[in-house]
Amino acid sequence: MTGEDQERFEDYLELERYIEELRAGRVAHPPTHLTPDQARIYRMVALFRSAAPGVAEPRPEFAEALRTRLLNQNDQSLEEADTLKLPPLEGADTLEVPQAETHITSEKRPEVSPASTPPKQPKPRRVTFFSRRALLTGGAITAASIVAGTTAAAVDLAVRPDKLPDYPTRLAIGSNVATTWLSVTTVAELGKNAVPFGNDKLKGYVIYDDDNNEIIAMSAACTHMGCIVQWQEKERQFHCPCHNGVFTEYGKPAPTASSVRYLTPLPRLETKVEDGKISVKVPS
Amino acid sequence: MNTPHRLPSTQMNTRLAATQQPSASSIQSKEVQPQRSQDVQEIQTFYEENLALIYRYIYSKVGNRQEAEDLTSQTFIKALRGVDYTRGSQSIQKWLFQVARTTVADYWRQYYRVSISSLEELLDAGWEGPVEQEAVPMSVMPAEKAQRILQALPERDKEVLTCRFLLNLSVKETAVRMGLTEANVKVLQHRALKHAADIAQV
Repeated sequence: MTGEDQERFEDYLELERYIEELRAGRVAHPPTHLTPDQARIYRMVALFRSAAPGVAEPRPEFAEALRTRLLNQNDQSLEEADTLKLPPLEGADTLEVPQAETHITSEKRPEVSPASTPPKQPKPRRVTFFSRRALLTGGAITAASIVAGTTAAAVDLAVRPDKLPDYPTRLAIGSNVATTWLSVTTVAELGKNAVPFGNDKLKGYVIYDDDNNEIIAMSAACTHMGCIVQWQEKERQFHCPCHNGVFTEYGKPAPTASSVRYLTPLPRLETKVEDGKISVKVPS
Repeated sequence: MNTPHRLPSTQMNTRLAATQQPSASSIQSKEVQPQRSQDVQEIQTFYEENLALIYRYIYSKVGNRQEAEDLTSQTFIKALRGVDYTRGSQSIQKWLFQVARTTVADYWRQYYRVSISSLEELLDAGWEGPVEQEAVPMSVMPAEKAQRILQALPERDKEVLTCRFLLNLSVKETAVRMGLTEANVKVLQHRALKHAADIAQV
């Protein structure tokens, strides 16, 4: 084989390697020192690959995660320009809300009226808190009565204008979407680990929150790009295989060495406990 | 004690119906913030109209899902900061594609590491040159562009590209189907892609 032929043969192999990497669903880049003619050939690979049916369609989880991110970003930038002055809140992670129990029923509403400042308590307690928006709209939280012992927490993004929310956010299911209560496990069987659940519409985890003494459920879709996070028993955290995002056992973003920053918490889902059976409200 | 099982990674590919979306009413009904609710609606519309187009376009430049997602996110996040909703949606779309183009070009620059000193080098780095006349240039519809090119190719080129890309067959499967050796297929696909590149330039 002449030198020229050898070179060409290597071109074919290198190109084939690139094609195979992409076909395997991996990230791949053309070799860096290509001539303009060679570079054009590699660009054709990406073009033809994207033309295969169904390949270049955004994943629903990705689409949702990005949508949420854009809306959060918009909220943040609006807050910066906001003239509405909200009362200063004490405590980094606690919101002082007058309530004796950790469950939400409609009787509690008057105590947490949206127009009033959360009154200062003599000593702050970690309690769950309400979305002012949801209260204003009579949204999902007050619409359902949740049996004692479980709570779904929600947060008003306007409360923390200078930061991304790092406390739980409710996953809002569209009002015209049919939902059902999905039975996940029982109180007796729920140990210390997160229990996965899901249907073809939604995947999530149930876990016992021993700090707040409640059973919580959250979406398993990473708030970065929507990949399904994995529960790690030993580390007691959720790990996202796509970009190494990490969430605490309560779905709160945990600082990691990965490049994923500004994660928002895994959204919470409504749960209920009836006769010791734990169920989660999911789109049906 | 429950032993949690790992959710299989194939679930990443499970198609979820678009039901995990924030309820418009729960966000909009903040009566002290009419600007927010209007913005939210505009963002939703802008996003829904353009996500698939931008994603497909970027995918046709990078060829893989992960980078397509990353760059699509970057594009929208950048775009959202500067979008002017008072412009017509066609004009917004054109501008959004420009953002996508520069996002991809910036990204490619890392890998090509050429000093961008001439138009030729810019083009090789993935940048697409001056904006085309059409509202949504044909080049941003990768499936159509690929089809046009295919139809213009000689039969064998067309067949090998169809096998390898549209049908996603392996080299071995393609070889069997076309009655060639695997080495032949590798040579042929290279040649076909080269011919395709020549046509695409015109």
